[in-house]
Amino acid sequence: MSFTENRILGDQSEPMVYARQPGTTDEVYDPEGRMRSHWQYLLDSLQQLGGETLQERQLKAERILRDDGATYTLASDTLNSRTWGLDPVPLLLDSEEWSQIETGLSERAELLNLLLADIYGPRELIRCGILPPELIFSHQGFLRPCQGVKLPGEHQLILHSSDMVRDADGSMVVIGDRTQTPSGAGYALENRTVMRRVFPSLFRDSHVHRLALFFHTLRQTLNRLAPPGNLSGGDLPTVVIMTPGAYSETYFEHTYLANYLGYPLVQGGDLTVRNGYVWMKSLDGLTRVDVILRRVDDNFCDAVELRSDSHLGVPGLLEVARAGRVAVANPLGSGVLENPALLKYLPQISQYFLGHELQLRSVPSYWCGDPDDLAYVLANVEKLVIKRCSRRSGEYGVFGNQLTSGEKQALIARIKQSPHLFAAQDFLSPSLTPSWQNGGLESRPSLLRSFTVAGQGGTYAVMPGGLTRIGVEVDSRLIANQLGSISKDTWVLASEPEKRMTLQPTPGVERREQMRQYTNLPSRMVENLFWMGRYGERADTAIRLMRTVFLQLNSAYRLPEGADRLLLRAVSEVTLTLPGFTAEDPELLKHPEAELLSVICDSRRTGSVKSSLIAMLNCAEEVKELLSADIQRIINDIRDELNGLEGSVSRGMTSAPEESLDPLITALLALSGLYLDSMFRGLGWRFLQIGRRLEKAQQVATLLRALLVPVHGDASDDLAMESALLTAEALNTYRRRYRAETNIASGLGVLLVDRSNPRSLIYQLDKLRTDLALLPARGKGPEMPREQRLVLEVYSAVQLVEMRILASSDAGESTRAALDDLLQLVQKRLNAVAIAISEDFFDHTGGPQQLVNTGWKSEL
Amino acid sequence: MIYRIRHLTEYEYKSPVSLCYNQAHLQPRNTSYQNCISSKLHIDPLPSYSRKRKDYFGNNMLNFSIEVPHKKLSIEVVSEVHIDERRASPELNLDLGNTCAQALEALRAGQGKNTLAAREFVLDSPMVRMIPQLREYAEASFAPDRPLLSAARELTQRIFTDFTYDPEFTTVATPLSDVLEHRRGVCQDFAHLAIGCLRSLGFPARYVSGYLETLPPPGQKKLVGSDASHAWFSVYSPGEGWFEFDPTNNNMPAHQHITTAWGRDYTDVAPLSGVIFDGGESQAPRVSVDVDRITEK
Repeated sequence: MSFTENRILGDQSEPMVYARQPGTTDEVYDPEGRMRSHWQYLLDSLQQLGGETLQERQLKAERILRDDGATYTLASDTLNSRTWGLDPVPLLLDSEEWSQIETGLSERAELLNLLLADIYGPRELIRCGILPPELIFSHQGFLRPCQGVKLPGEHQLILHSSDMVRDADGSMVVIGDRTQTPSGAGYALENRTVMRRVFPSLFRDSHVHRLALFFHTLRQTLNRLAPPGNLSGGDLPTVVIMTPGAYSETYFEHTYLANYLGYPLVQGGDLTVRNGYVWMKSLDGLTRVDVILRRVDDNFCDAVELRSDSHLGVPGLLEVARAGRVAVANPLGSGVLENPALLKYLPQISQYFLGHELQLRSVPSYWCGDPDDLAYVLANVEKLVIKRCSRRSGEYGVFGNQLTSGEKQALIARIKQSPHLFAAQDFLSPSLTPSWQNGGLESRPSLLRSFTVAGQGGTYAVMPGGLTRIGVEVDSRLIANQLGSISKDTWVLASEPEKRMTLQPTPGVERREQMRQYTNLPSRMVENLFWMGRYGERADTAIRLMRTVFLQLNSAYRLPEGADRLLLRAVSEVTLTLPGFTAEDPELLKHPEAELLSVICDSRRTGSVKSSLIAMLNCAEEVKELLSADIQRIINDIRDELNGLEGSVSRGMTSAPEESLDPLITALLALSGLYLDSMFRGLGWRFLQIGRRLEKAQQVATLLRALLVPVHGDASDDLAMESALLTAEALNTYRRRYRAETNIASGLGVLLVDRSNPRSLIYQLDKLRTDLALLPARGKGPEMPREQRLVLEVYSAVQLVEMRILASSDAGESTRAALDDLLQLVQKRLNAVAIAISEDFFDHTGGPQQLVNTGWKSEL
Repeated sequence: MIYRIRHLTEYEYKSPVSLCYNQAHLQPRNTSYQNCISSKLHIDPLPSYSRKRKDYFGNNMLNFSIEVPHKKLSIEVVSEVHIDERRASPELNLDLGNTCAQALEALRAGQGKNTLAAREFVLDSPMVRMIPQLREYAEASFAPDRPLLSAARELTQRIFTDFTYDPEFTTVATPLSDVLEHRRGVCQDFAHLAIGCLRSLGFPARYVSGYLETLPPPGQKKLVGSDASHAWFSVYSPGEGWFEFDPTNNNMPAHQHITTAWGRDYTDVAPLSGVIFDGGESQAPRVSVDVDRITEK
C-alpha cells in the first residue's frame, strides 16, 4: 500500500520531499500530479529549513502550547490532560478559492439562521411540507420551551461552524454543522499565535490572512446583543462567557477566549437569577449580566425548564431570555440544527428562503424517516456513514464498510425499529495533506472546521481559514480530538501583504472593559485563589517538615531518647494525617518508611503532600485565565513532578530521601516569587496572598505546638527546637545570630516575633493586616470588620507575651502551658478569620433541587 | 354551565427555602367548547417576579420566582369557566368517520397543516415511550376497517374494565410497563396508557389535564376539597379533529370535564414544577381542589 512507499520515500531518500499518493485527492498536487503554485513557497522553505530544524521548531511549538496550558481534556483528571497537538506544517488555501468558500459559508450561516428562526417561530417549513414534522419534532435538540424566544436584531444564530472536506472532484463539501456551542475558534487562534512565534519569517513572507477581524466582529456582535432595556445612558454591557467548568474537554479554549476577548469566565453557579435579571455573584455583590456567550449545551442551561438534573446552568435563565432581559448566544435550542438529516433538505430550504441553491454543497445525505431513503440506506449500508439524528456525546458516525456482518444486522435492526432517528451520508474520502510525522513529510487526511460569526447588517463574517484536523494515520476515516487527532494552522494566502489594521476604534471603551474585569471577579474565582494560596503553603510546610524529619532520622548522630517519636508524631499532627504516628504503634515507629511515603504520595489521603498539591492544581485550573504564562509553566512542572513523585521518593528512601523532595520545594518557591512579580495586584491576588499568609501563620503555630509544647529532656528539647528552625528555614540565621547552644526562648523569638524573618508568625500577621484592610467594605457599621478584629487580637497577644515565659514550664509539668495557650489562641482565631472571609466573600448557595422530584423530564 | 374551581397547593419545608423558580399550568385554557371567564392567582409569599404567557401548546403558563426565605409556599387559583352546552350533547355516533386505515393513510399523506402538526403527537414523549406490550394490548380494538373513534372508545372501555383504580400503587414516576403488568393506576396512568396504545399504532394522541365535577351521593352535602385534578386523553382523526375520551370514567368528556392544559404527556402540563435552593428534602405538597357549579345558564 502507498503508506509504506511513502515512508520509505520519506525516511530514507528525501525526508523533506512531500510525495504524492497515486489515486488520491491531495491538497498539494492537482490531478495531473503538478504541485499547486500556492504550496511551492512553503514546501521549498521547509526543505531549506531541513528536518532537524523543523523537528526543533515542533518541539518549541509543543513547549509553548504546554506553557500556555493548551490542553484538550480527555477525562476528569487533573494530572492527565493532554497537550493540544499542533502539526508544524500548516494547511494552505489560496485566496481565490477561499473567497468562494467564504461566500458559501456566509450564505450557509444565513440560511441556518432563517431555519432556526422558523423552527422556533411559525414552522412554515413544516406547514408547507418541505420538512417532515418528525424530523424536527423527534430531535432531542428541539426544545419546546424555547418556542418564541428571540434575540434582538436580525440574527438568531450568532456563531456557526461547518466541518468540510475536499471531495474527489476538488470542491469543498460540508459534512456537518455545529450550532449550539461551536468549539475550536479559540484553538485556531492559539495555533496561529504559536505558528507566528515559531516560524516568524516564513509566516511573514507567506502573507497570511489574519484572524483578528473575526474576533473583533464577535466582540462587537456580543456587545450589540445586550437587551436595550437593560442599559441606561451609555452603560457598557456586561458580557460573560459561561463554561461548564474545568472538567470540560475544551476548557482551555474557554479560558483562552475569555482572556482574549476580555470577558469574565463564569460557571453556572457564578450566576443567579434575581428580580427577573441574570446577575454575576462578584465581590462587589451582584453585577447584572447582559450577554452570555455560552459553552454549556442547550439542555443543561436551566434546570427549571430544561434538564432538571443539570447543575451546570442557571436556574431560571430561559425565562429571563424569553423576557428579553438577557441575551444568550447561541440561543438555547439552537442544537436542533445539528441534525445530520437536515443536510438532505438544505437545497429545498434554500430554494424556499433564498430562491436559489446553496453555493457550498453538503455531502449527499439520507433520512431514514423517508421510506425511499430508508430502502436505499438498508441496501447500501457499506457505502455509507450512519449517524443518529440526535448526537450523543462521545458517539461518532458508523462506517458501514467497517462493520462485521453481525454488527451490520444489529444496526439494521435498530434503524428499522425507529427509522426517523437515523440519518446517513455518503462516505467522502478526505483529501490528503502533508504533515510532519516520523521525521518526514507524510500524507494525512484532513478536515477543516470553519467558523462564522454574525456581523452587522444581516451578514456573517467568516474566519479566514479555521481549524484543520488530520487523521492519526494516512487511512484514518474518523478525525476527532477524542481519538487523538492533531491540528494544523490554516493559512489563507493573500496575494499581497495585508495592511495591519488596528482593531480598537474606541480605545476608551476597550480600556474600561479591561479595568472592569479586574474588579469583577466571580466569587468562585476569588475563593479558588484563596484556596490555591492555602493549599500551596500547606504542601510547602509538609514537604519542609518531611525533609527535616528525613535529615534528623538519618543523621550520623544517635538521636536522643524519644526524639524520633516526637518528630514522627509532629509529621502526623502538622499534616493532619491522623492517627498516623500518634497512634503510638511501636511497629510503626520502628519502621516509619511506609507511613512517611504515604504521607507524601498517597493522593487519596487528605493532608498528604500530593493531595494538597492536587487540590492546589485544581484551584489553579479554575482560575487559569488569571495566571501568567510563567505561572502556568511552574504549574506544569509541579504536575509532572507529582506524576513521578511516588517513584522518585520510594527510590530515594534508602539514601538521602529528602533530596527527592527538592524539586517540589524549588517549584513552590518559584511560584511564590511569581505571585509577587507577575500578577496584577487586583482583588484576586489579594485573596491569594491572604490565603497564603493565613495558612503560613497556622502552620507555624501547628508546628510549634507539635514540637515544643511537650517538654522533653534537654537534648530532645534542643533537637525539637533545631527541627522547628530547620523546617522554618531559620536555623542558619539563628546559629549565626546566637552562636551558642540552642535556646528555646531565643528560638521562639525567631519564629514568633522576629520581623526580619519572612517565615515568622508576626511577619505573616503584619502582611495579613495590610491585605485585610484593603478588602472591599461591606457596609456593616463603623466598627472594624470581624476578620480584622480577630487578627488584631492575635497580633497583640503575640507581641504582649515574653518569650522567656513561653519557653518555661511549671516544674513537673510535661507541657509548656503558656506557649500552648498562645498557640491555641492563634489557631482558633485564625480559623475564625478564614470562616469570616468565607462567609463575607464567597458564595454559599447550595445546589438546586426539584420542587417536585419526579425523576422524569430528563432527556427522551 | 359555569364552574368555579378553587385549586390550592401548599408546600411546607423543613428549613427555609432561600430561592425558588417555578412554572405553573394552573389556569384553564380556552378551547372550542370552553371559555375561561376569570382566573385569579394568589401566591404566598409574594413572588418577586412573575409573568404569564402561552406555552408551546397554547396553554396558560405562569413563571414565578420567590426570593425571600420561606418555609411555606401556597398557591391558590380560583377560576371561573364557562362550558358550552353543546359539549353536553349525547355521545357522538362513533361509527361514522375515518376508518383506522383511512386515518393512517391520511396522516402519511400529510395533507393539511393540522394533520401535519398532529404528527408530533405520534412520537415518543418523556413519559410515553414505545414498548411492544402497548401495541400488543391495543391491536385487538383497531381493525383497519373499523372507524377510528369507535376503536378509541372501545380502548377506553377496555382500560376501564381491565385496570383497577389504585392511588396506592403508582406515583408520578411509575413507568407504563409497570402499569401494564399490574393493571393498576390512576387517571394519569390510564391516560398515558391509552396514548401509548394509540401512538404504538401510529395515531396521534395527546394528554389533557383538568378537573372533573363530582357530585355527592343524593341527599348529602358536598365535602370541601373532595375534588381532584383529573386527566384524560384526546385522539386525532385527520380532517375531523381531536376527540377526547376518559378511560378512568369510561366516557367521553362532556360538560363535567374542565380542561386546564394539554400536551404530549404529563411532563408538558405538570401543574407545578421548578427548582428550590435549600429547604431540606423536597416534600409532597398538600393539594385540595373544589369544583362548584355556580349557575345553570
